[in-house]
Amino acid sequence: MPESEAIRLAQQGSAPAFERLYRLHNRRVYSLCLRMVSNTAEAEDLTQEAFLQLFRKIATFRGESAFSTWLHRLAVNVVLMRLRKKSGTEASLDEMTEPDDESGGPRRDFGGPDLRLSGSIDRVNLQRAVEQLPPGYKAVFVLHDVQGYEHNEIAKIMECSIGNSKSQLHKARMRLRELLHEALRDKAREDRKAASGTAGGKD
Amino acid sequence: MITNECKKFLTWLETWDSDQQPLDSPPHARGCSSCRAVFEDLKAIHAEAHTWSANEPEPPAHIWSSLHAQLKDEGLIRTPEAERVSPPVVSSPGWFANLFAQVPRPVLAGAYLSLLVAAGFALSGPFGRPSNEAIWLQGTQVVASPLSAQLDTFEQNPMASRGYVSPAVAASLHQNLAIVDNYISLCEKSVQEEPENEVARDYLFEAYQQKADLLAQINERGENVQ
Repeated sequence: MPESEAIRLAQQGSAPAFERLYRLHNRRVYSLCLRMVSNTAEAEDLTQEAFLQLFRKIATFRGESAFSTWLHRLAVNVVLMRLRKKSGTEASLDEMTEPDDESGGPRRDFGGPDLRLSGSIDRVNLQRAVEQLPPGYKAVFVLHDVQGYEHNEIAKIMECSIGNSKSQLHKARMRLRELLHEALRDKAREDRKAASGTAGGKD
Repeated sequence: MITNECKKFLTWLETWDSDQQPLDSPPHARGCSSCRAVFEDLKAIHAEAHTWSANEPEPPAHIWSSLHAQLKDEGLIRTPEAERVSPPVVSSPGWFANLFAQVPRPVLAGAYLSLLVAAGFALSGPFGRPSNEAIWLQGTQVVASPLSAQLDTFEQNPMASRGYVSPAVAASLHQNLAIVDNYISLCEKSVQEEPENEVARDYLFEAYQQKADLLAQINERGENVQ
């Protein structure tokens, strides 16, 4: 059943059509939730909530935007709302980022030649760094760099401008770079300690 | 050391679109180790993140089960089970197709119309004839009783003629008709107690109309299904 047909039938309350739409998009939505909250139980709950909201509102879908964009907007909102509740604030999306103290932009931390990330980034340390991102940065980063959405689509999903989407992504990447460098430095420090400990033990 | 060229490069980097623009180092970054490091790092982050999309995890099956149950509870989806149970008229087409098989359709339609006209006339009240109240009341009873009896006949005869009726369907029909019959009884009682009460007569007329509508709808649906 094509998506457009499934949408039409779901608007009439057809159970198989609802299931078809769920099967078409569940992986992406679940993946988005999982990347955003890094907790499987919570990601499952958020996925269910996102689809529930979708099906409650599906009769109002008129096709002005792509269905997946509409769904992702709902999902991102569900996740951000949850994160806001958890943090106990009613902050807007912009406030869920970490502007640089002085300029409002990302901190321009130049890595020295000895701190190149190339070759040292892996899934685990990048995931750890992503977990530490503010929710707004995280959402744009996951949508763009992980899920492959373009800035014009992200702008629709996040209800912001394309320029804002690009700016948020850049800040997110720069913040990740900082976090990854910190992790590298910590690891190097630990390695040195371990090495000196081993050397001391031998003496 | 950060030069003006470095600042320009970093400004450019803020709007760099990794999807639209080449991933080769821009001219300034080729000659500036600090800027090249930044650019290469961002490229590495983007490249690693991009590999994640190939491994999108499958959500557990219970999500759909819970979602389905919740949607069903909220009445947002029609399940095959609900379709079988809720509207009996849809679930047993053969029964409705044959419900009024004994009675030719033109006769039914005519009877329905004449019943409504007769009931309307009978219950229109003794306007302009206040002195003949007893006669009017008697007339009302004379007309209303056969009306009720006729509707009952339309209801009973086809039912009795059926060889097979699903118990669930029959129960649902009886339940609906019983509600209307009960309503008719109450209205008839009110009219007998207060024959001059126009509101009571209107209610009785409405009650007959509801029963006639119900029977006609059942017959009509049966015809459509057939």
